Order: sequence, then C-alpha cells, then structure tokens
Amino acid sequence: MSSVVLELRGVSRQFGGLRALSSIDLNVSRGETVGIMGANGAGKTTLFSLIAGHVPPSSGDILIDGKSILGLRPYEICRRGVGRTFQTVRPFGGLSVFENVLIAGRFGTKRRAMADASVRATALIEAIGLADRAQAKAETLTLSAQKRLEVIRAVATGAHIILLDEVLAGLTPNEVREMLGVIGKLQKDYDLTLLMIEHVMRALMEVSNRILVLHHGEAIAIGDPAQVRSDARVLECYLGKDE
Amino acid sequence: MLRNLPFAVFFGAVIILPFVAGEYFLSVGLGLLMWIALTQSWSLLSGLTGYISLGHVVFYGLGAYLAALSWGHLPLWAVLALAGAGNFAFATAISLPVLRVRGPYFVILTFGLAELVKFSVMAIESALGEYGRLLFDVPSMATLYWLMLGFAVIATAATQLILSTRLGQGLIAIREDEETAETVGVPVTIYKSLAFGLSAAIPGVVGALMMLRTTYFEPQQVFDPIVSFTIVSIAIIGGSDDSRGPLFGAVFLVLLSELFWAKAPQVYLILQGILLIGFVVFLPEGICGRLFAQRARR
Repeated sequence: MSSVVLELRGVSRQFGGLRALSSIDLNVSRGETVGIMGANGAGKTTLFSLIAGHVPPSSGDILIDGKSILGLRPYEICRRGVGRTFQTVRPFGGLSVFENVLIAGRFGTKRRAMADASVRATALIEAIGLADRAQAKAETLTLSAQKRLEVIRAVATGAHIILLDEVLAGLTPNEVREMLGVIGKLQKDYDLTLLMIEHVMRALMEVSNRILVLHHGEAIAIGDPAQVRSDARVLECYLGKDE
Repeated sequence: MLRNLPFAVFFGAVIILPFVAGEYFLSVGLGLLMWIALTQSWSLLSGLTGYISLGHVVFYGLGAYLAALSWGHLPLWAVLALAGAGNFAFATAISLPVLRVRGPYFVILTFGLAELVKFSVMAIESALGEYGRLLFDVPSMATLYWLMLGFAVIATAATQLILSTRLGQGLIAIREDEETAETVGVPVTIYKSLAFGLSAAIPGVVGALMMLRTTYFEPQQVFDPIVSFTIVSIAIIGGSDDSRGPLFGAVFLVLLSELFWAKAPQVYLILQGILLIGFVVFLPEGICGRLFAQRARR
C-alpha cells in the first residue's frame, strides 16, 4: 500500500468570480480510503467533477496512475479507472437494476463481452443485497436501494478509484451500518481506492485512513481522523472561534 | 414464438403479394414497405436515444435528389449505394452541431434543418435552370417492390438486433441519462453520431427507390414535411419499444389513407391529427404495446 494511484497537483477551479477550489494537492495511495469533509459549498463535489472529467481544472494537473488526465472526456477517464456516484442519485430509471449494472460492465474500463459483463453484474447485485430486485426498474427502488445501485454500477465499470458522493446521506442508522459493511467488503474484493464525501461524521472518521477538510475551496487540513479532529483550524471552522 | 408472430404474418403476406395482386395493390404494398423502412430507421435514432427527429424527410429527400442526379449515369446498385452512403456521411457530419441540443430544441432543429435543405436544393435547382427532373428507363415496379421489401427487412432487423449490441445498450443508456452514460464509459458523442448516420442511411435508399417509382423530381414534393410527421405518427400509433410497433402503425395508417386519401384527402389529414392526439392521450403505449401487454398479463 504505497503506490500512488491518484495525484492532484495544485488543482484550482474558478467559476466566474468564484474560486471553487484553490490549489489543492493530494496524493492517494492504492487501497486507501480518503474522506472528504467540509460545509456546503466548500468545493467537495467540484473536486469529484474535476477528477471525473465533468469540469476541467482552471489550473493544476490531475494524474491517474501517474498519467495526466487533463483534456480527457469523462468516458475516457472512466476507462482509466475512475468510477463515481452522484450526490443526487442518477440511476438509468427506466432500466432494470440488472441492466444498469450490465451497461456499466459492458463499457467501463474496457469493452467486456455480454457474458462477462453479465456474470460481473450478477455477482455485484448479489453482494450489495439487491438480488431480489434485479429485474425491477431502477426508478421503483427506495432511495437507499438506488444509492446501493449507484455504488455497484461504479464498481461494475472495473474502475479502481471510486468516488462516493454522500452515499450515506438520507439513510437510517441501520442502513448506514449496512452500507459501510458492503463498501468495505467491495473494497477488499475488488481492490478499490475510495474517496468519500460525507456529512455523517462518525461514519467518515471510522472508515477513512485520512481525511481532507475543505473550507471555501481551500484544503485546511489533511491527516488521519484523530489529527483532523483536533486540528485548530477545523475546530474553528466547525465550532467557531473562541473569543 | 408469439413474439415473432407479427413478423411472420406480415412478411409472409408481403412476399405473397406480388404473385397474387395487381398493380394497384402492389403500389399500396410498396407504400407500406416504404413507411416501415422509414419508421424503423427513425426509431433507430429516436426510439433508442430519445432524440426525437421531426425532420427525417431530409434524408428521404436527399436520397431522392441523389438518385435524380445520378440516374442514367450510374447503374441501379450504385445509385442506391450513393444515396445510402451519401446520407450516412451527411448525417454524421451534421450530427456534431445538431446533437448538441436535446428535447424540444432538437425537435425544432431537425424540422428547421429539413426545411433549410429543401430550400437550398430549390435554390440550387433554379440556379442550374432546372425546373423538375424527369427520369427515364426506370426499373420495373416488381424490381422496386422487392428492393423495398429487402430494405424494410434490413431496417426491421437492424432495429431489433441493435438492442443486444454494445452500441444499442450505449444508446439506451444515453436516452436514460446522457451524463451518467458517459460516466460509466459510454463514448456518448461518437455513439450519437453513429446512430444519426445509421438512421439516415436507409431513408436515403428509400428516397432513391421512390424517386425511381415517381420518375419526376420536384423538391417541394420529396422534402414534404408531411413525410416526417407521418413517420412520427406511425411510431406513436404503432407504439411499443421494439421493432414490431412500426409494423402495426404502418399497416393501420396505410389502410386508413387508402380508405380516405383518394376521396377526401382533407378528412384524412384531420383524422390523422385526431388519431395522433387520441393515441398520445389515451393509448401512449400504442397498438402493439397494448396488444402485447394484455397478452402478457393473462
């Protein structure tokens, strides 16, 4: 666990007059789980959009497995091994759970034959506990099930870096527990590196190897959960300054 | 088995037709096959990707124009190949700007594009001093019929078979959510262009065949927007997500038009409008969708 799979070098993103992210540096090692926290508008989702190629950085460079992904389309970045979920779930609503995962498998990091993608899809659906809903239309699932579907759809692409955007939000404490268990198992089985945006602090502290704290587009802290919890600037941002 | 019954009945009937029917029924059959080929090609783009084209006549018209220009200089197969390939090339080239817009904007854009091409062809023709072109020594009705049947079969098979291909699945993903499709690795832009090109090729050939049938080229006629409207009507009336829909829709509308068109063309157009509204409001799944949904429930 030392090879760097994802590297951000001075990545900034400007939206008109708004500096959504400024000069972010980050190295993520293979198999690591990096939690990302920060208030609304801190730039968390923008960071994911930059890595997944939906938005180009204004400056800086992003490298996957040592190669720059600047200028690549999102589907090309997916082929390099990046999978993502969306903060507001975006399943292919009119298609079945199985088809959702199947399509991700047929494309993704490489073109897989129908049989291959089909086996993959069945295994993942089983692993995330949606086997009995496999033929149901994705739009008929509960929010919790749709979130699980998004996770396995990202994994089905064959990506080794998975960006999870608030997959625990809106879930009951039991569902959170369940979801974390499944994600942990997937991470082991599929050798995944995870980046997790989360507001559920306790969960994030529990599963992350390191945590990146964003505030108004700046990285104000990065380190292991204990370090971050006691960081003066983080406390100041979250609890206010002691006058 | 039941699934393929409509195909068997329909294609069985149109194969027997030339041996038992006279000129009139053969020409009705030709029209029927034409609408099936056109609607199937349309659904290759619009049914799969959800980009609703209201200007598909542009490919039909260009195919007819290419045939009018090349007939007499090239053999039949080359004329048809030119019409098909020419349209594929034209559609893929314009797809990059055209497919950047979605929803109602795409509908309006395709309609406008067809009109633009119509008036451009009219301007070119009048600049050349051509006021209508006559085609001589055209193939027999029977030849055209068999060719049209062949292309109707190809278009139907293509719409059916593409569903299980990677291209088909990618296009369906695009229909569901374009951005998500790209996120899971679907090369969205390339696939959309390809679908647009494929859906244009057969209408080009069909236009060329119909040109050889009518033997008189007139831009207003071959670029008539009614052709685009009829394609969409057949697709909606026939309904269903698969390639059986257009068969039902085309048979229904062609029979209706034979009943009314000659005697009361205005009544037919009004009726088509009423039917379209009726189907959209009361039977959005179409004839085929309703028929098979009920069977499945039993």
